Amino acid sequence: MDLKEIKSIIDLMKKNSLSEFELEEKDFKIKLKRPIGAAVAPLPHALLDDPELTAYAPLARPVAPTPAVTSAPANAANGDAEIKSPMIGTFYRTPSPDAAPYVEVGSEVGPDTVVCIIEAMKVMNEIKAETRGVITAIVAENAKPVEFGQPLFKIRPI
Amino acid sequence: MSTPSRRTAPPAAPDTVILAAMRSAGETGASGAELAKQLGVSRAAIWARIEELRKLGYDIGASPHHGYVLRACPDALHADDLHARLGGTQVVGREIRVFKETDSTNDLVDKLAHDGVAEGMVVFAESQHQGRGRLGRRWLSPAGKGLWFSVLLRPNLSPMAATQLTVISAVAVSRAIERETGLRPGIKWPNDIMFGTRKCAGILIELSTEIDHIRHAVLGIGVDVNLAAEDFPPELRDLATSLRAEAGREIDRPALAAAMLRELDYVYARLREGDFHQVGDEWMRRCSTLGRRVTLKIGDRTIQGVAEALDDEGALVVRNEHGHVEQILGGDVTMQR
Repeated sequence: MDLKEIKSIIDLMKKNSLSEFELEEKDFKIKLKRPIGAAVAPLPHALLDDPELTAYAPLARPVAPTPAVTSAPANAANGDAEIKSPMIGTFYRTPSPDAAPYVEVGSEVGPDTVVCIIEAMKVMNEIKAETRGVITAIVAENAKPVEFGQPLFKIRPI
Repeated sequence: MSTPSRRTAPPAAPDTVILAAMRSAGETGASGAELAKQLGVSRAAIWARIEELRKLGYDIGASPHHGYVLRACPDALHADDLHARLGGTQVVGREIRVFKETDSTNDLVDKLAHDGVAEGMVVFAESQHQGRGRLGRRWLSPAGKGLWFSVLLRPNLSPMAATQLTVISAVAVSRAIERETGLRPGIKWPNDIMFGTRKCAGILIELSTEIDHIRHAVLGIGVDVNLAAEDFPPELRDLATSLRAEAGREIDRPALAAAMLRELDYVYARLREGDFHQVGDEWMRRCSTLGRRVTLKIGDRTIQGVAEALDDEGALVVRNEHGHVEQILGGDVTMQR
């Protein structure tokens, strides 16, 4: 791996807000860590001098909560697919607070069925099931932060 | 970033050509003979179009010496007129549709998007029955008082980067308001357009995505333009304002509509050309949340603290009451007076 490749990995990390990257090949190992948010551009000087602020290195982008498995059928691991979050944001199971959830455990969904919303900075992303199946578990918690790639639902294809 | 496909805009409608010619001619007037030649029709056909425009409320003078003079325009949105005012944009406003009323322009544009309509399509509604904001909240859209519209974009972005759309649209709306009214609104993180603690415009972006790319994005924008205080229900009067209330005069809605599309086209071009940061810097300068005490509600959690900065991706960096710093991407922000 040359310097250029390492640089492109760093760029990718920046672009996708990744704080850590680790790669191990036969006789090569690289580990990159990046304090997300520490490189904030327009911090006033007073803040930069603040030891507490500059010391928050692995700063909390919303940390993935321990998955609260709403329902975990014994065979959930066998052959069930996952619907994952395409972005960092807040997970909403309902279109509005008083509305019924898009789906429940046991709901049958098609590829175009909306299963939830992920919101980041007022961008509402309706997530579709992308496959035909039955929801077997809801693994993310309503109105809580989710990470990129974090499983939201388990779905058993039919 | 690759350039999105550029479909050429459909040829300008006769009314677009006529209105544009009258505007650029001003007092001198636009010659009927020249318009007839330009459009390849008879002078009688031009006269007929002028009559139709008069029926729509355009005050058009005609004299043998001066040709057609546009004296005044109606306070109404017409697609052909918006095209005439825009005079061509790269993407935003290549196609414009105006509906007298609809449920929600975002829903309409989303449907068009699924039908494969090219990006840049803009739909205005003079009134919406079910205008909405985040999480199904109602957005008041009384007839003829504001700008309620949605723009279809197909940006070459990952869903992760979609927050850039929040940033550029807030800047575009602010710039258009400033240009047409002389007022300088602030941006409440992430994209509410405010005068002090009162909101005058809101933006809601809805995405259709796959895991690694955006299929389409619908930018829904609502601007309270000429609403009077009594147009707002009592519970909103401390929270909402209109440009008319702030400026102390009626605002030219069609001119503002054209300015919105022009500015959106400009910031979207910056994004496509990889110049997002130029717009991002302007957003930071316009952001009125920084340095303020804020209350954040995220789901059932409430955080109080001071908004200290914006990070590279536009997240709000808040130091909470316990001195800890958090990066905030969502939730409701309330600024303390």
